[in-house]
Amino acid sequence: MPIPSDEGWIDRFVDRLPETRLFKLVASWILVPLWARLTPVKPLPGGPHPSFQHGDNVQCMMNLIMPLKDKSPVGRALAALAIAQNKEAIFAGLNNVGTVHFARFVIVGDNICMFSVYDGDFTNYIRDFIATIGSVFNAVVELVEGGEEVIPCEDNVEAFIQWVHERDLYQVPDTATDFLRDQEALNGDRAVSPVNDDLTLLPRKLVLQLRANPNVSLGSGYRAYPGFSVAQVRKHLGVGW
Amino acid sequence: MVDASVAKRLVQAIIDNLPEPVPGRRPVHTIGIGVKGEFVASDVARTYCIAEHFNGQPVPVSVRFSNGLGGLEQHDGWSDVRGMAIRFHLPDGTGSDLIATTLGEFFVRNVADFFEFAKVAKREPYQRRHWLLKIADFLRLKVPPRNPYPNETENVDAGALRYANRHRFSQLGIFQVGSIGAPESYARASYHAVHTFWVTAPDGVRRPVRFSWQPVAGVRNIDPADVSRDKYLFKELEDRLKRWPARFMLMMIIGEAGDALDDPTKPWPATRVRVVMGTLTLTEVPKDQEAAGERISFNPCRLAPGIEASNDPILEARRCAYEVSRELRDGCPFRWRPDNANSK
Repeated sequence: MPIPSDEGWIDRFVDRLPETRLFKLVASWILVPLWARLTPVKPLPGGPHPSFQHGDNVQCMMNLIMPLKDKSPVGRALAALAIAQNKEAIFAGLNNVGTVHFARFVIVGDNICMFSVYDGDFTNYIRDFIATIGSVFNAVVELVEGGEEVIPCEDNVEAFIQWVHERDLYQVPDTATDFLRDQEALNGDRAVSPVNDDLTLLPRKLVLQLRANPNVSLGSGYRAYPGFSVAQVRKHLGVGW
Repeated sequence: MVDASVAKRLVQAIIDNLPEPVPGRRPVHTIGIGVKGEFVASDVARTYCIAEHFNGQPVPVSVRFSNGLGGLEQHDGWSDVRGMAIRFHLPDGTGSDLIATTLGEFFVRNVADFFEFAKVAKREPYQRRHWLLKIADFLRLKVPPRNPYPNETENVDAGALRYANRHRFSQLGIFQVGSIGAPESYARASYHAVHTFWVTAPDGVRRPVRFSWQPVAGVRNIDPADVSRDKYLFKELEDRLKRWPARFMLMMIIGEAGDALDDPTKPWPATRVRVVMGTLTLTEVPKDQEAAGERISFNPCRLAPGIEASNDPILEARRCAYEVSRELRDGCPFRWRPDNANSK
């Protein structure tokens, strides 16, 4: 025997409230800033999580977002030109470094982005690139806000690596609750059971984190052949190195 | 080691939390459908595991899909964990089982955790949250508890949430349960065996692995607004198999040193090596459902030589609890192969 629904018109109205334009405006302009003030959230650092495990240290992602100084089509064209003029250097550098699966330069809005998938340690990865294609980095970074402080990169190796790391996107974990663990680790909260969390606050925590880190990489990415390095793939394919 | 009395208490704790007892039936995953099919291992499977069903010869299988809820009421449209238990019928008349659910990670680490969870997550009356409280939730940027499903008067949601708030290890599993949804078809969901197993390769190398089934038809849930669709999954599967077989790929994820081997609450990173072990082809929903699904007694530790259970305490507890449950419902005992007898 079906139990009659106790749902009234006001219940239906309230259930739909979050989808209304009014509520979205209130949330964006009042609630989110208010909660950001009441419960401040620090930006989470970019790049892969440190790990000693092999699988976590191959096919790592770098997602670099660099705002252009000149936010006009001319500025974007200059960025495109900087890449085009250095194509040979980029390919030679990638072959020499030997740990890069894929690398792409992309212009999105007023940003030039470098997205790459590489093996090994991030610091060594950038260090290798400075050694092999430092001039390309200089040509690109020169066009980017704050870039003048770290070029020529060959003379500012550590500062340049830090500069890149700060612009590498935070990689939101694959599981929702690991995102909470990242926040706890950043805040020095390493409590184990018993704790007194409120899992229902996860949406707010996510919203505030995305306010602190407006650009993020979602998940660790799909890999068709996880756990294998460039060197292993090339060896199995018989294409040299 | 989980002894028989602990296993009985485990099963009893589950039975005690049911809306009403279901003598002669499974206490959870009560509603299910048996399906016949065939498994064919991939070319590479035999290089990772010597188990007979991975040698490349087609192996007949019995599969039982189920809804996670205990009790005789069927609510296909409710958000719920679904089960996929499979028996590989080996040529010598024995079998090897693989029991998986749509839940990626479990919510307790061991038997003690489970008893505490059972104590906290009792069935409680469940009502629509008052609209004023919902508005308060929205203002705090919280998602209010969902509305009760049609005819739903009690559940364990509040208790499970209380438990998760106190135990971080359980949060992922309980969060997933809360957001898992209802599949469009049993053949359009991914199923995960959650525990770690050890597989032995022909060269003697033993590897820690976890298994998942991935549907070739793709993963797809129904619209959450369709919760009132109580009975559609059985017919959908029957109709689907009349038209065309349904297929799943068996994926084996290889763990690395440092991965959680004995803790089903901890996921392995997506960066682990993933091997396609074979393809399952489901062909028919037999008329005799008692024989095809209800009488079969699956056990996650019924494993062909070449596959071993890890020291996961939940896996060990399930081995005994499944046997207790089988005895309670007078299920069909299964002949354990002699060289697997120590797992009994």
